[in-house]
Amino acid sequence: MTRNTEAALIIAASFLAAFGVTLVNFARGGSVDVQTSLTFLVFLITFGGLQVAVRTWAPRATPLLLAPIVALTAIGFLEVYRLDVVRAGLQRWWLLIGAGLAALVLALLSKPGTSVLRRYRNLILVISIALLLLPNLSSDWAFPLKGLEVNGSRLWVVLELGFTQMQFQPAELAKLGLVTFVAAYLADHQRALREAHRQVGPLRFPEPRQLIPLLAAWGVSVVILVWQRDLGASLLLFAGFVLLLYAATGATGYLAAGGLLALLGGVASSLMFDHVQRRVVAWIAPFENYQDEGFQIAQGLFALGSGSLAGAGPGLGRPDLIPNASTDFIFAAVGEELGFAGSVAVIALFALVVSVGLGIAFRSRDTFRKLLAAGLTFIFGIQVFLIIGGILRILPLTGITLPFMSYGGSALVGNLVLIALLLRISHEEAS
Amino acid sequence: MNGPIRRIAIGIFAAMGALLLAVTWFQVVRADDLKTDPLNPRPALTERGKERGLIVTIDGTVVARSVEDPGSRDYIREYPEGEAFAHAVGYSSFLVGSSALEAAYSSQLRSRRDLTISDIVAVILGRDLRPENLEITIHAGLQLAALEALGDNKGAVIALDPRTGAVMAAVSTPSFDPNLLLGDDSAQQWETLLIDQSRPLIDRGTLEIYAPGSSFKTVVTATAIDTGTAGPGTTFDDPSEFDLPGSTATISNFGGQTCGGGVSVSLLEAFVRSCNTVFADLSIQLGAVDIAITAEALGFNTEIAYEWAIPQAVWPTDDLVGDDAALAQSGIGERDVRATPLHMAMVAAAIANNGVVTNPYMVQRIFDAGGQTVETTEVTELGRAMAPETASVLAQMMERVVTEGTGRRAAVPGVRVAGKTGTATGHGDFSNPWFIGFAPVESPTIALAVFIEGSPSSGESATGGSLAAPIASELIEIWIASQS
Repeated sequence: MTRNTEAALIIAASFLAAFGVTLVNFARGGSVDVQTSLTFLVFLITFGGLQVAVRTWAPRATPLLLAPIVALTAIGFLEVYRLDVVRAGLQRWWLLIGAGLAALVLALLSKPGTSVLRRYRNLILVISIALLLLPNLSSDWAFPLKGLEVNGSRLWVVLELGFTQMQFQPAELAKLGLVTFVAAYLADHQRALREAHRQVGPLRFPEPRQLIPLLAAWGVSVVILVWQRDLGASLLLFAGFVLLLYAATGATGYLAAGGLLALLGGVASSLMFDHVQRRVVAWIAPFENYQDEGFQIAQGLFALGSGSLAGAGPGLGRPDLIPNASTDFIFAAVGEELGFAGSVAVIALFALVVSVGLGIAFRSRDTFRKLLAAGLTFIFGIQVFLIIGGILRILPLTGITLPFMSYGGSALVGNLVLIALLLRISHEEAS
Repeated sequence: MNGPIRRIAIGIFAAMGALLLAVTWFQVVRADDLKTDPLNPRPALTERGKERGLIVTIDGTVVARSVEDPGSRDYIREYPEGEAFAHAVGYSSFLVGSSALEAAYSSQLRSRRDLTISDIVAVILGRDLRPENLEITIHAGLQLAALEALGDNKGAVIALDPRTGAVMAAVSTPSFDPNLLLGDDSAQQWETLLIDQSRPLIDRGTLEIYAPGSSFKTVVTATAIDTGTAGPGTTFDDPSEFDLPGSTATISNFGGQTCGGGVSVSLLEAFVRSCNTVFADLSIQLGAVDIAITAEALGFNTEIAYEWAIPQAVWPTDDLVGDDAALAQSGIGERDVRATPLHMAMVAAAIANNGVVTNPYMVQRIFDAGGQTVETTEVTELGRAMAPETASVLAQMMERVVTEGTGRRAAVPGVRVAGKTGTATGHGDFSNPWFIGFAPVESPTIALAVFIEGSPSSGESATGGSLAAPIASELIEIWIASQS
């Protein structure tokens, strides 16, 4: 596959987004309108522009990554548009901002390369933790940057600019910073971590003092869970850290200990925190608790079942009945209107992105780049599994967005930067 | 490091595989269960707001239509005639379901603009996705008159075209306004109607069976004439009480008197005055099985094809063989004999139609949005119930009921009306007055059954002759006037 094929696929996927918007218009008795052309233009500028940035600053990057991303964004966008036209308009602005930021990352890394991230890992860690803590700023002080509590979780900051205000979730960017830090830390200490271990039966355990980073990661996760009440981000970061530790050391003990800690944390938090307990109840018996905790899960499953094989068609189902359909439950909305066919396409596209990401990690010769590519792909894949698995009752719902599909500016920006980093690594490894 | 990454990759792809399996489970294996789960609001909501077909009477009165709300662009169902057609046409409500024709013809009345892929194919093939419409055989004038004539009575009127079985009027009272069941408060409105002691939601005309009382004497008389057992001139003993065989109980006539002079009385006189003693005697002479032959040819103990499932009329042959006391009571339409008002109208129609029973129907034709007929109902016959001569003799006897007997109040000036009254025993002290009949006798164009449930008063004022016959008279008069 070449860059030109990729460009053709980007144009095709932009058409897909505009076509989806038009179908939704048809379902409402409308027709081709300004929304159609705006959507096509924004997709073309966002991803065409991103490809130009790749051609300029990372020309040898894999051409396999952008196309599935555009397709996923297009499918997600048509559902967001179907559910909330105003949000779709905002989402278009966030696409442009995200593409700009991703292009900026590619431009900044074009001279020094990704190794600069390894060099400044401690600075990145400090910035990331600061970002994570931002939402805990006071909500009612005079400073224009405020924390905000939404649905019992403290994840948002508001930047008041006088004429308007911007809301974002700094954790979406902090996530990338934390993965970068862990990848760099592990690359620096990889030898020590690999060689100092003990064999206990079939499990290889690191030296106790080598467990400190693992415990630190666990600590960060617990803090997020308790202080910000964000079950999803907490689980995502912890699972990402454990998988990276295992990838770096090959010590199965990390997996065993990590699984045990996650389980302990899960059980303890479901006993201690009401908001976690409600999710467990909704997971186990959604229909029995239909009027209360189970409503969202039950509506999600009704949506999927009603979509059945071919789906109701864009704009013709009732995904608006699902609470938070355009964010947490975008997958159920797609399943209702595009059917089993659409659901399978979405899962397959995500699997494609994950396999390309892992392929980049696999072929990397440099330890840091290998671990960074692996770590970024892990958190991407885990996030997909956590939210779709939550909707499909494989595990409790964790309230996390589906990358590139859910409505949400910060997540879109964060994920576009994540893809930019993967592209940059694949370029450096091909050089 | 590639070793662990490979193993993690396997793990992640296994997780993706699990997602595929789970989504297959919910969207393929369990899709139908989830789609139709009673908790799932989608099926009702998708119908809501969509266009539904027109229902229009044969004389052009619109009784159900969908009107587009200019704001929301949703269609709202309307029943312009309100409670007059509540039981015939029914309602289609997103909260409490649907009934009558609205339920029976749901697949024709609903818009087919819902399944995108098949929609597109259908449009390419030039098919119309707009809902189809129903033309029904009911005459709006007759229907409204029937509702008004029943007034505050609980009861039903069914009028048929005896030549075709077409339902010309079908009213059940008390009725309700189906428009109340369409709004957001429809569940509460429904609840109120449901607990109402007078049971307004029940269609007494087609869905409830009642003892037909003396109106059933038409069936017994037809059997007698058909089998040659007796004719109008055949004479019977005329006691004031008939002793039930094997029992100390007796059957007496209305008012406890003899039928004629006290010595003997003809079948015609007994029929005209509706004497129970003679018909108890005659029933035993005929036997349960012979009556069953005529009754079953008239559709008793038989499933009758109608627009929706209706209960069978009952002549309990097996219980009556060898039990003459029960047979004598059944011969006057009491005990366990049962029929819907629709069924008794069919009996009257069969006599009017020279003995041939036609299947009743209400939908004349289905037509598409462009007015093109999609389907026309063909008249079907259940079969011959009695010889043409029998029907003719019986018609003359029924005419005498109206000219000089119990049904005098069904008379219409200038029109030859035939009929038979009935006053069945209801619950407790209540009686259930009936009148079945047809007109004009020489060439019948209307057959009807008037039924009143649980008339509280007793005596002469609560009989079929005094309560039901005047309603029949009024409707026949209106009908004949509208035909000329």
